Amino acid sequence: MNDTLTIWTKKFMTNRSLQWKQMVMDVLHPGKAMVPETEIWEKLAKMYKVTPDVTFLFGFRTHFSGGKTIGFGMIYDSLDYTKENEPKHRLARHGLYEKKETSRKQQKELKNRMKKARGLQRPMLCCQKERLQIHR
Amino acid sequence: MAAPEVLESDLPSAVALLKNLQEQGLSLLEVKDQLLLMYLMDLSHLILEKASGGSLQGHAAVLRLVEIRTVLEKLRPLDQKLKYQIDKLVKTAVTGSLSENDPLRFKPHPSNMMSKLSSEDEEEVEAEEGQSGASGKKSANGTVKKYVPPRLVPVHYDETEAEREKKRLDRAKRRALSSSVIRELKEQYSDAPEEIRDARHPHVTRQSQEDQHRINYEESMMVRLSVSKREKGRRKRANVMSSQLHSLTHFSDISALTGGTPHLDEDQNPIKKRKKIPKNSRKKKGFRRRR
Repeated sequence: MNDTLTIWTKKFMTNRSLQWKQMVMDVLHPGKAMVPETEIWEKLAKMYKVTPDVTFLFGFRTHFSGGKTIGFGMIYDSLDYTKENEPKHRLARHGLYEKKETSRKQQKELKNRMKKARGLQRPMLCCQKERLQIHR
Repeated sequence: MAAPEVLESDLPSAVALLKNLQEQGLSLLEVKDQLLLMYLMDLSHLILEKASGGSLQGHAAVLRLVEIRTVLEKLRPLDQKLKYQIDKLVKTAVTGSLSENDPLRFKPHPSNMMSKLSSEDEEEVEAEEGQSGASGKKSANGTVKKYVPPRLVPVHYDETEAEREKKRLDRAKRRALSSSVIRELKEQYSDAPEEIRDARHPHVTRQSQEDQHRINYEESMMVRLSVSKREKGRRKRANVMSSQLHSLTHFSDISALTGGTPHLDEDQNPIKKRKKIPKNSRKKKGFRRRR
């Protein structure tokens, strides 16, 4: 942990209906490049006395000539609420969500085949691949 | 003497009248009437006294006069408030009907807005109205229809080449008037005290204001806005302008005022006609400033 890392929080607001606390964060890191996210999680968690897995950060922009970065942070009330309310790409940064790696080309081909089929033929096409796998 | 008999006969009717008055209360006009009469009586009494050589010192009538006068003056604002109504009533009484340009004639008639079940009702109602054609809104809607907003008449776009040229000249003139050359001339010849300000180029101040606006928006909405190419160019130019000594040697074009031909500095881009670019970048609703 860098000793010279300072975090100021501004515009703190509690959102009761979405169960989070949001704020604007000023990260001061004089003489260094921007620190990795994990360190800021821990620092924020210590400040607000929560675990680092409910802290989420985004939108960090470093000012010209370095030293200062401004971004946004959110602290959730509990892990269940984060799974409900947080967008998937941010959950993925914490490892709580895995994005499905489907081939884009295959998806488009399937879609075009489905356009040609009519009525109940469509779900047959959709499940065709899985059926083939099961049979094997 | 006949006085007691007269009094006796008059008493019951007087009592009845009084009771009547007390039940309904005195109207302002009646009170004023009575007060004015009493004033006149006291005044004439005093004049009589004076004419027959008496002194008015400490006379009871004087005190009564003063009292009546104060009450009348206190009633004056009430009078003001009722003036309009009284005038109208008097006019109606005198002329016998409402005047032609009386605005009350054009009051809306809610009965006209109700649906008419049969045409006979319509005729009856119209006969009742009587008066001239300027009588309120008339609607003959039987059923409740969907509200269709009125289509405004489109106006023909008539801007000729000459008008466009004139507009362009006007704009160039305005820009020239606010250039540094003209401003310095103004300062030289005006009598107003000289103001010393933090002198930055107006483009630079404008850009810094816009930047501040953007930052405020981003921080309050907790989103990051994308910067278009045009914005990036403007920002870069503003930064460059503040670091160079540009304004020392480059002066803006005041040919619109002097009547000469518009000339450009060597390092400026030639004036291009702007292409119509589709404005798809209005996604962030709240951010665009209403200029």
